[in-house]
Amino acid sequence: MDFSYTQEEEMFRKRLNEFLDKELTEEIARQNWEDLGVGPEAREFSRKLYENGFLGLPWPKEYGGQELSPTYDFILIDELGKRWGAHVPLDVGYTMTGHTILRRGSEEMKKEFLPKIIRGEIEFGLGYTEPNAGSDLASMMMKAEEKDDYYLINGQKTFNTESHYADYHWLAARTELDPDKPKHRGISLFIVDQRSPGITIRPLITMSGERTNEVFYDDVKVPKDRMVGEKNKGFYYMMEAIDSERNHVFVPARLWPIVNDMISYVKATEYNGKLLSDDPQIQSKLAQMIIDLEVAQVLADNARWLELNELPMTMEPEITKLVVSELEQRMVDDAMQILGLYGQLEEGSKWAPLRGRIEWYYLHSFLPTIGAGTSEVGRNVIAQRGLGLPRG
Amino acid sequence: MDFNFTDEQKMLRESARGFCEDKSPMSFVLEMEEDEKGYTPELWKGMAELGWMGLVIPEEYGGVGMSFMDLIVLLEEMGRVCLPGPFFSTVVLGGLTILEGGNESQKNEFLPKIANGDIILSFALAEPSSTQYDPSLIEVTATAEQDRFIIDGTKLFVSDANVADYIICAARTQGEPASKDGITLFFVDAKSPGIKCSLLKTVAGDKQCEVIFDKVVVSEENVLGEVNGGWFVIEKILQKAAVAKCAEMVGGGQKVLEMAVEYAKQRVQFGKLIGTFQAVQHHCANMAIALQGSKFITYKAGWMLSEGVPCAMQVSAAKAWTSEAYKKLVILGHQIFAGTGFMAEHEMPMYSRRARAAELAFGDANYYRKMVAQDIGLAPRS
Repeated sequence: MDFSYTQEEEMFRKRLNEFLDKELTEEIARQNWEDLGVGPEAREFSRKLYENGFLGLPWPKEYGGQELSPTYDFILIDELGKRWGAHVPLDVGYTMTGHTILRRGSEEMKKEFLPKIIRGEIEFGLGYTEPNAGSDLASMMMKAEEKDDYYLINGQKTFNTESHYADYHWLAARTELDPDKPKHRGISLFIVDQRSPGITIRPLITMSGERTNEVFYDDVKVPKDRMVGEKNKGFYYMMEAIDSERNHVFVPARLWPIVNDMISYVKATEYNGKLLSDDPQIQSKLAQMIIDLEVAQVLADNARWLELNELPMTMEPEITKLVVSELEQRMVDDAMQILGLYGQLEEGSKWAPLRGRIEWYYLHSFLPTIGAGTSEVGRNVIAQRGLGLPRG
Repeated sequence: MDFNFTDEQKMLRESARGFCEDKSPMSFVLEMEEDEKGYTPELWKGMAELGWMGLVIPEEYGGVGMSFMDLIVLLEEMGRVCLPGPFFSTVVLGGLTILEGGNESQKNEFLPKIANGDIILSFALAEPSSTQYDPSLIEVTATAEQDRFIIDGTKLFVSDANVADYIICAARTQGEPASKDGITLFFVDAKSPGIKCSLLKTVAGDKQCEVIFDKVVVSEENVLGEVNGGWFVIEKILQKAAVAKCAEMVGGGQKVLEMAVEYAKQRVQFGKLIGTFQAVQHHCANMAIALQGSKFITYKAGWMLSEGVPCAMQVSAAKAWTSEAYKKLVILGHQIFAGTGFMAEHEMPMYSRRARAAELAFGDANYYRKMVAQDIGLAPRS
């Protein structure tokens, strides 16, 4: 066992933090965390990350990377996360679709997309969920018919979160239309230019103010060379990517800002002539947050270690996802209780404590236990794939 | 970062698993719960022959010279079968304390005997006034008298004092009862006149004792570490003891999860394997989450202690999380085994009784939350 980082990795972390002190603002961080849309400053920040040698380190040299350990990407997302919950600004391309392109894409596709992903220049929107295909993703109905040199695509996607600012749609659609064939063996993945004629994007606004989208395809023509990998293998590509995606998205470090904000609040706020930090109940709540975060971090470290050593992952990333998402709910609940009546005040309101951040987190905290698979489906995965219990 | 065990650790685990399963089936554990001594000399000898008592004792003192992390692996296997006996008291609380606080002549005299399995040790810390776990609350006094000390007072929850050859006793040589200054550790012959030991009846059937020290005379040569400087040693030992206890809990938790999953794959109700029901699957998933968290935070804290890296926060997180997680594991395990698991002769009660004892040993989650609060500057240091 060894729980330390190498000297080079620690140097990278130090250099990165010096850079972030100067370059990362709360506004940029929140554009991504709150899915507000990635504006020019965030895109500029993204390019600077690459120019200063913080983005793309683990990627192959031929596409602009340095072929170093994936640990560098994990350090990057940890250090970003500690600052207002920030992420790599164009994170869907960088932490999700890029990996599948590298694994499954044609050489032309890799040459076209990977350098831009690694340089932090382009973003993708995930096009998986449909109104009747949520947890049961294999039931998707979006139809891609093979024509001469293109696919003709029709149907509807929903909760496609990045689509209003992404450059490309990472689309899963049905290419095997025979209803007697197994559902999960009839899906293919496509990279679709979001400016293609026939695409309509309509906003859906979440309870915590994020924008997500419905995306409609009406006779959209997608060139055949924009299919990722082989036809009808899309569902498998989605599943083989899911563990790594969890490792990159459910990042315990992104919850530190809540704890740090709350610690400064209780140290500076009085009740009845005493600081809140003197109240044993409040001490206990905050201590439990830190204990849970320590454990979440080492769970994440374990799942990441499996990934970067290409060892089998059965339930580890799913466990991290469950722990991190349910921890956010508990932490926010405790934080709200500590804030008392003030906890209900929104950002921008008179008297709002901690700039209303905890109130926003409360609203947000309903998402992580649902997004990217509900906690219930996650527990099925742990039981069946991890522990070998039989399917019902 | 590396989550692999070394080849030596893998071998140690394999041999420990074989030995423990062979020598300590449930029938033996239950028998030892009823037994006055709580262990058998044959088992003790067998463990000594495998080098377990000397595992973390350096070779120069007759030990094997392995690390604290190696000991974690061994304790995990012991926890898996609820191995009875005074190993924890002798090696973790006794051996490590002598290594940490003992002078050269004490190390030379006692460490080889521990390594050989020739002596059994016990550590007397808690007292009747410790109605909440507080290792610095020491009222038992040791009064200096020329070249000796006279120890007076009552110690409680002293594990394995009933069979110990020596008791390490934390006594107050100066200062107020809850002060960390003025505590001294004494290495006391358990047969000294004035020592009276009686067994307490505990939930886990382990051998915890009341030990009364009635004007017990101890030579100043038997002070471990500095006079009035005992806390320095106690604090370090309790960190290791807490994480060592976590390792036992991880081993027990692993076994409980395996048993529950196995049962869910065989038991049929409503014409189906109960393991196909989502309610049962989710119980098992929750057990796996509780276990994985316990495992890796224990390994991390154990590794940091092994490497000598400061890790108060990780120790607190390990003992707080693992204590709660083990309870969760046994509660869910009982739900899956239902009525059959409620029977005294079933394996489940053996684990659920120990989950409670292990939670209470060396501080529960409440205690470690207080420690964390102090470490982040919310509460004044006690």
